[in-house]
Amino acid sequence: MSNARAVVGVFTYLDDIMGAIDRVKAQGGTFRVYAPTYVAELDHHTDTTRSKVSLFTATGGVLGLVGGFALAILCGLDWPLRVSAKEIVAIPGYFVIGYECTILLGAIATLLGLLHFCRLPDIVRKVGYDPRFSLDKFGLVVDCASSEVTNYSKLLEDSGADEVREEDGL
Amino acid sequence: MAAAESELTYAEVDEAVNNMLTAPGPGWYLQLIICVALVLLGASCWTAQLLNGMGMAGIAHPIMWGVYITNFVFWVGIAHSGTLISAVLYLFRAKFRQPIYRLAEAMTVFAVMTAGLFPLIHVGRPWFAYWLMPYPNERALWPNFKSPLVWDVFAISTYFTVSAVFFMVGLIPDIASARDRTKCAVRKFVYSITSLGWVGSNRQFKHYSAAYLLFAALATPLVVSVHSVVSWDFAMAIVPGWHATIFPPYFVAGAIFSGVAMVITLIIPMRKVFKLERIITGEHFEAMSKLILLTSGVVTYAYVTEFYTAWFSNNSFERFQFWFRPFGDFWIAFWGMTFCNCIAPLSLWYAPLRRNIAFLFCLSIIINIGMWLERFNIIFTSLAREFIPAAWGGYNFSWVEVGITLGAFGWFGMWMTLFIKFFPAVAIMEVKEVIPAPRRHGGGHH
Repeated sequence: MSNARAVVGVFTYLDDIMGAIDRVKAQGGTFRVYAPTYVAELDHHTDTTRSKVSLFTATGGVLGLVGGFALAILCGLDWPLRVSAKEIVAIPGYFVIGYECTILLGAIATLLGLLHFCRLPDIVRKVGYDPRFSLDKFGLVVDCASSEVTNYSKLLEDSGADEVREEDGL
Repeated sequence: MAAAESELTYAEVDEAVNNMLTAPGPGWYLQLIICVALVLLGASCWTAQLLNGMGMAGIAHPIMWGVYITNFVFWVGIAHSGTLISAVLYLFRAKFRQPIYRLAEAMTVFAVMTAGLFPLIHVGRPWFAYWLMPYPNERALWPNFKSPLVWDVFAISTYFTVSAVFFMVGLIPDIASARDRTKCAVRKFVYSITSLGWVGSNRQFKHYSAAYLLFAALATPLVVSVHSVVSWDFAMAIVPGWHATIFPPYFVAGAIFSGVAMVITLIIPMRKVFKLERIITGEHFEAMSKLILLTSGVVTYAYVTEFYTAWFSNNSFERFQFWFRPFGDFWIAFWGMTFCNCIAPLSLWYAPLRRNIAFLFCLSIIINIGMWLERFNIIFTSLAREFIPAAWGGYNFSWVEVGITLGAFGWFGMWMTLFIKFFPAVAIMEVKEVIPAPRRHGGGHH
């Protein structure tokens, strides 16, 4: 049996869970927080680093822009038929294609970035998750060794958790 | 934030929205049957047209863009405001969008699915529709990327894809909530798959909020571009009444106008049937009414500008076209449009009417009739009276066109009916976001 354990604290109040997070951080613990909605305050409390999803968006957008223009230009060159007295490669007319492809690939890349960083889909692995966390409770899950379970359980109880329980860890 | 929202708790929001997903009653089945019957009517008419040719439709020289293209522009316009409400108002942090944006997004996706049918129906041989896409072929034939019609293919396809992605990403946390609340094993299984295993962890929320902002930023230019490109289908041609630089902003404002009206048409019965009065409040209707007033003003200004430009240009073809619209064969469409889009919305200057639900419901239908007439007016009158009198003509509506038009409403209504019963039609997570979080030491709900 693995030594990895998870201590799960169920909280009703935002200020309680933020206090608990501070105390777990002070002890150097590894933790996850679950919330029923996005709470900016909680987000800033847990992790101040910026998401890198925008890198995916930028990459997709640039590829779309280049790809859109390339598609229109190469198709024009491959079948050089002059239409409506316009140039074979009529750049102004291709702006719409480049523009749409920029947004299309930017959005698809953002979706891929979101799935990558959120580690989705992940239908099976939900250590410490409780259905109440999508309703009206906040959850703090501390990953620890079995020897630290008592310490963290007490810490969460003292911080105002409604309920504290122990589970197998990751 | 609305007063009623501030009194809500997280659990109450969940309960109200998830109650919508319970076993459907007879009213829901009746609505679905009516919609499916209309779809079957439309499908039968389309089948008759496929078997007998385009002569079954009223399309004939000189009006070669008839009811189908009118419907196409109408439904793209309806689709428009969903993205406005979900993306643009998100960037502006307009909190009134939260309870209504999910329905508006669903409306967008289903309206584009409806709009997309009409070019296929209009071209007569839908099995060749793939010719519009650039695909490798031995003859090295490629679409003409200088044509506004090909721009339209790219604009609508992109709009549909991005709107659908935005819609589905927004649904993920709420489907997770439905997964955790449902007692039906089949639904639990389906929601487990479609929520992708969302758990609402800090890691997920961090990337989700960043991605959502990016989606909104990407979708916002589409709000402007998609109907601009549709307007260029007309404005790039030299036809009198079409060749106008005002068309893109005019079309965009008109699309927002009609889309918001359609949101009101859809949301009022939903609010009543599912008892969502505490979530969708008078303040939301007040905000949507003001949006209608604004866009009605823009549309009216565009109508007047068109007339002024035609007069000031001293171009006899343009002048004649803008005389023909109010006083020619299709005068009913012009005056109907003017009443529905310019005069009727003025009633919203009277503040109590902005929160009068029955009045708003009727007005929203009047506006959408007006917006259909606007597209009819643009397409029919211009084609009926081009440059050479010998090429002038009229139009004979056919029962096939009427059937397909009704079928489109059934198709749209069918998807909306199914969506409302199987997926959260109000954004649970975002409504919770505007409710102050519960705190032991003051503030928030308990």
